[in-house]
Amino acid sequence: MTQIAPPQFDRGKQRNPPAPSPTPAHPSVLRRNFRAAVVFDAAETPPAELLLISSLSRLPLQPSENAAFMLDVRDIHKWYGPFHAVRGVSFAAKRGEVVGLLGPNGAGKTTSIRMITGVFPPSRGTISIDGLSIRTDPEASRRHIGYLPESAPLYPEMSVMGYLSYRAKLFGVASADRSTAIERALSLTSLEEVRRKRISALSKGFRQRVGLAAAALHRPGLLVLDEPANGLDPTQIRQMRETIRALAKDSCVLLSSHILSEVELTCDRVVVIAAGRVLADGTPAELRERHAPESAILIEVAESEGTAATIAVRSTPGVADVESGKVENGWRSLRARLRTTKESSVAEQLAAVARSLHDVGVIPRILAPDAPGLERVFHSLLESPDAIDSERAA
Amino acid sequence: MSATLTIARRELSSYFRLPVGWFTIALFLFLCGCVFGLVVLAPGRVASLRAFFGGAGWILLPVVPAISMRLFSEEMRSGTIEPLITSPAREFSIVLGKFFGAAAMLALMLLPTLLYAGVLARVSARPPELGPLIAGYLSLLLPGIFYLSIGTLCSALTNNQTLAFLATLFILLALMLSAALGPAVAPTMLQPALAWLSFDSRIQDFAKGVIDFRHIVFFLAASVLPILLAGTALRARRLG
Repeated sequence: MTQIAPPQFDRGKQRNPPAPSPTPAHPSVLRRNFRAAVVFDAAETPPAELLLISSLSRLPLQPSENAAFMLDVRDIHKWYGPFHAVRGVSFAAKRGEVVGLLGPNGAGKTTSIRMITGVFPPSRGTISIDGLSIRTDPEASRRHIGYLPESAPLYPEMSVMGYLSYRAKLFGVASADRSTAIERALSLTSLEEVRRKRISALSKGFRQRVGLAAAALHRPGLLVLDEPANGLDPTQIRQMRETIRALAKDSCVLLSSHILSEVELTCDRVVVIAAGRVLADGTPAELRERHAPESAILIEVAESEGTAATIAVRSTPGVADVESGKVENGWRSLRARLRTTKESSVAEQLAAVARSLHDVGVIPRILAPDAPGLERVFHSLLESPDAIDSERAA
Repeated sequence: MSATLTIARRELSSYFRLPVGWFTIALFLFLCGCVFGLVVLAPGRVASLRAFFGGAGWILLPVVPAISMRLFSEEMRSGTIEPLITSPAREFSIVLGKFFGAAAMLALMLLPTLLYAGVLARVSARPPELGPLIAGYLSLLLPGIFYLSIGTLCSALTNNQTLAFLATLFILLALMLSAALGPAVAPTMLQPALAWLSFDSRIQDFAKGVIDFRHIVFFLAASVLPILLAGTALRARRLG
């Protein structure tokens, strides 16, 4: 049975709340969404009432600055023979947004990225880049993508300048703009001093930057980075983060990474994938609120005041429980588990606990929120029944 | 077309940036030099490069697969194929670019052998004629292009350069063998078709100094099928 998808962004089978709806006023957005609606069950003959919509969908599509989403991924699947590697992944991203694709090994991140960049098409589902379908307008949509594959494959025999010049020509950067584009990419990735060096003579960090410069050279609307911080030292990771943030000013950046702290620091939004399914989608703060197992406050008081402090903290409204920790150099550590995971509420709780301690005359040496990091959210999600079901199904 | 030329230029320049490119040229020129010195410059022989072209034709058999083996295999092995196929270039632009780059390398490799014609002109009483000289070079260049097209196809099918080299060599030897043994083994009704398909007889015509336009068209047309198949292989790879 052919179904008409609503002409706004539809998150398909995801359980998470939908992303903010795009403004449907722009005709290109409407056309794009109608097209997706018809493509949805393209294998079947569309009913007569859909023919008008179908003809609308054949209108030429132009990339638009007003396109609601730079990247729109809808219900994509990938089968490798009988193995169902990606199972209905849907998400969207806007220009200026840095979206992290997070998941354990074999979750389907790289497969999803390869489908988005057009290395191979999805077995089912639609992907559009700035309103252009990767399936029906492959060359045009690829012009809007800058892609840095994992481990930044480059031609080692070429010089940095030679390689960037080659990539600029390949992406059709006009000869008049080529040197400006190359200089901009070199400056953005701090490669000026090695511009004449052979790529084979560069360190891993520099090579990664050359890959990034090549991906960003033609000012793509969508920059896809697969494990950009892989194998980099902490300083290089920080530089890479700064570069990505700079690039996100006029592009949409999609990056996959195993380094959770890095994703937390770099990304505006995180899409967690496991066993080929989207488990969660939201800002790091939203994910913490929705999926963190608990929030807590860490307290350290003098050993002699431990009991009084425990009673005072336990009686504070909003505190679920207090765990007494080890004693070190005369100081006892306490951990107050809270009933909320909201960041704003944790701040309020912190003030309330401080007041309770003050009331009983206890001055803590440490009073700090033990906020759940993305790592705890990630592990909590992977241990959730949804993830376990997906794993079993996979 | 712009993407094709960009890829062709990069491919050609990469041969000269890698030791394997220089080694292939050096080996070819060394073997050609041996043929020229030992066979063509032998005292009492007619001042003709015909023997050289015959010998160089055989030398091309292992040299051309060495040129073509890395075209796609190396890209697949190193992962550079991903940034390439995610560029706006179409599959056939990529294949043509790589093929043209390799063909230009073949032409540049043949270029220094013009020196032999100069040497021959200097040491012999009558300089070699221009017509047979052009025909002789066509007898190297056209089959070389055909061999390259087969090599491009083999390279597009595997990420192992050695396998690409051996597969190309095997196919070329099989084609030569079938051309040589075909008339003796094949049924009579198939013999005209086999004779028409034989490229050995066409090379012989060029070596004799005959420039037949049909032979030129034959080699160029024969090169199209492997190129189309290589493009299809790349497309199939993209389609997963």
